[in-house]
Amino acid sequence: MSKPTSTPSRLHPAIAVAIIGFCLVTIIWMVSFAIPLRLAGQAYLLIIILLAYRYWPPMIRWVAAMPVAHRVVFGLLVGGMIFGHYTLNGRAYFPFVVWEIFPFVHEDDPVTCRQFIATTANGTKVRLIVEQLFPSIVQVDPVDALDNPKLYRPGTTEELVHALAKVYNEQHPDNPVESVDLMLMSVQLHPPANESRAEPSCELLKQYEISSDR
Amino acid sequence: MRIAQTIRNLVGPLALIHEQAGPRLLRLTRLGVFALWIVKLLLDPLWRLAEMPREMWTPVGILRLLPDSAIDVLLTSTGLSTLLAATLAVLVLGLTYKAFPVVSTLAAVLLTAYSSLIRSFGPAVHTDIVLLLAVYALAGFAWADWFASPSSGKKAPAAWSSFPLITIVAMLTLSYCLVGLNRTVNGGINVFTGDTMEAWAIDASLRGYYFNTNIGWHIPEWPWVVFLLRSGLPVITLFETTAPLCLASSHYRWIFIPVMLSFHLLSLVFMNIFFFDDMLLYLLLIDWSRRFPALRAKVV
Repeated sequence: MSKPTSTPSRLHPAIAVAIIGFCLVTIIWMVSFAIPLRLAGQAYLLIIILLAYRYWPPMIRWVAAMPVAHRVVFGLLVGGMIFGHYTLNGRAYFPFVVWEIFPFVHEDDPVTCRQFIATTANGTKVRLIVEQLFPSIVQVDPVDALDNPKLYRPGTTEELVHALAKVYNEQHPDNPVESVDLMLMSVQLHPPANESRAEPSCELLKQYEISSDR
Repeated sequence: MRIAQTIRNLVGPLALIHEQAGPRLLRLTRLGVFALWIVKLLLDPLWRLAEMPREMWTPVGILRLLPDSAIDVLLTSTGLSTLLAATLAVLVLGLTYKAFPVVSTLAAVLLTAYSSLIRSFGPAVHTDIVLLLAVYALAGFAWADWFASPSSGKKAPAAWSSFPLITIVAMLTLSYCLVGLNRTVNGGINVFTGDTMEAWAIDASLRGYYFNTNIGWHIPEWPWVVFLLRSGLPVITLFETTAPLCLASSHYRWIFIPVMLSFHLLSLVFMNIFFFDDMLLYLLLIDWSRRFPALRAKVV
């Protein structure tokens, strides 16, 4: 006499997917009360990528072949990058920084920028760019930020102008800078049709005299 | 079945990059990374920073731990020149591979101080961060080799050469991936529609930076460039987000490299932004040891 075979109750795949999906959405919804979705959303996507490698046989083989000390180094470096990104603090944990390039919408129209335009002894106009005169610096804050009292002490713009002029004059002693104009340059995102300009629109904001004894 | 086969052909063989790498390739990588830093530092008149207004100084990273008196000494022409000379000397010493764990650790510390210093007058931009992390990886794995070697003093097994190389590629691709994820989730669909990319490009062009092509602000006058920027951003974001595939797929790498190189070159032309360090690190996206047996670990 044969035993009655018990067929395991099978869940239809579509129902299983729906249940898993519902659970995930619920978890994400609940987590969003504690962690902003802009942060958690990145984490979910990153987890998917990390899981893909977690179960990829060559990666498993490679990690398994590592002695413990090597695994620690690998974990610290990759983990440090991920940790630094989610601290949302680009400065404190350098070089474990927040990785962001064009991460939000830029809506300004026209686009404006403050520039330093110097006049030299023979009347030539030259633009003073911080990153060119101080090539160590990859990027400084925009010049208009220097007038923000929450970020910088009053007079910082003038200090910077004199620093730029001094370095420029050291490189061009025969034709030094005599004055520097702080100009507001602006470019329209939607210029009139067929308009072509040699230079952006500009407006003088302030003029700084450069004395040679400074 | 045919569709599956076609996809398999498109994706190509999946194999971990540098899995077969040997000590020669690791030595070449150490040489390349240290030499690149030496060239960068030789071109840098760091001492000029002594002229920058102190009001613009906001310390980054480990420099936050230094007392004001130490910062005062560091930000003099002599202090900056000393830091530059010391870092260069240690990097040159690193090329000799003598006491590499100690020398590379010292190089990592000095380069971290240098990189923090040059960012303390502005935002903590991403240029050369992966190159710095590559030095961390070379130093960290050199110590790990020393600790884990079967008997101290003997050379590490050749197969261990792949560990730092794969880690550097993982960090390079992770940096792109995090940028892509951040833009996709934070910016949302609005970043990829409308004028955002033109506005970013014009802003960068007007600001200048070290490379100043003075071209990008003309973008609104050139509809084909506007189209290139708008259509290019989602494509680039997709490649950034999927960059970790470079670890596994050689076919993907051969698409990734030209696409991202073009992106970086166009960023230079229109936005004055040049990530040449990352571009040189792309050399590690080529699986040299599969092509040249001399660069493989001799493992049976």
